[in-house]
Amino acid sequence: MDIRTSIAKRRVGVVVNYASLTLFLLLYYIGFIGHWSAVLTIGVLIFLAVATVSFIFVHIKTGLWRLAHSSREKLDERQIQVTHEALRYSYSVFAVICLLIMLFNAVTGYRGHYLFDAVLPMSLLYFAHSLPSSVIAWTEREV
Amino acid sequence: MKTRKLHNRIAVLRQERGVSRKELAEIIGVNFQTVGYLERGEYNPSLDLAFRISEYFGLPIETIFSTKPLRPLSQELYGSRDEEGG
Repeated sequence: MDIRTSIAKRRVGVVVNYASLTLFLLLYYIGFIGHWSAVLTIGVLIFLAVATVSFIFVHIKTGLWRLAHSSREKLDERQIQVTHEALRYSYSVFAVICLLIMLFNAVTGYRGHYLFDAVLPMSLLYFAHSLPSSVIAWTEREV
Repeated sequence: MKTRKLHNRIAVLRQERGVSRKELAEIIGVNFQTVGYLERGEYNPSLDLAFRISEYFGLPIETIFSTKPLRPLSQELYGSRDEEGG
């Protein structure tokens, strides 16, 4: 069911979502590079849970996920314009972030041994899919 | 290209006819939130949507939409009568 939330609440939700995802990745790779501890595991699980809950709040309950992923036939002309603008902006942000990560990986990698495993590409896929609806959540007064 | 703000009488005409945003949205084939954006002048409709709105209200497009702030219809009507009367 779609619920109407204020733009301020949606913006807080977007910040919490990406902040928890970033902290999840940070703790995960601290454990990945160094060694795992119980504190790191708890931290990783907590941030993953926060990211999941904020994702449901920002994207699912507001109906923004459906809006950003619907075909053109199901949207009206304003919604097409809004999603088009969000996708255009998301593409440029995603491209820059991917480029920075690849650059970091290339600099820190040594003789085929690279820092990142499958968790980072998985997180980037989530980021790519959630970014358009996050942009709409951030910019649209009424959703 | 920066588009001009279009002023409109959709909110007044809709209330005058006792139609809700949701009902008007269904008639003209848009999401009900789009009607809110149109009424507040935050979204300029396409020519096709503008025609659908004018056909529903049975009024010419220029009576509903304008690039200049719109006066109340009654004021415009009486204003034109005064001009005719001299």
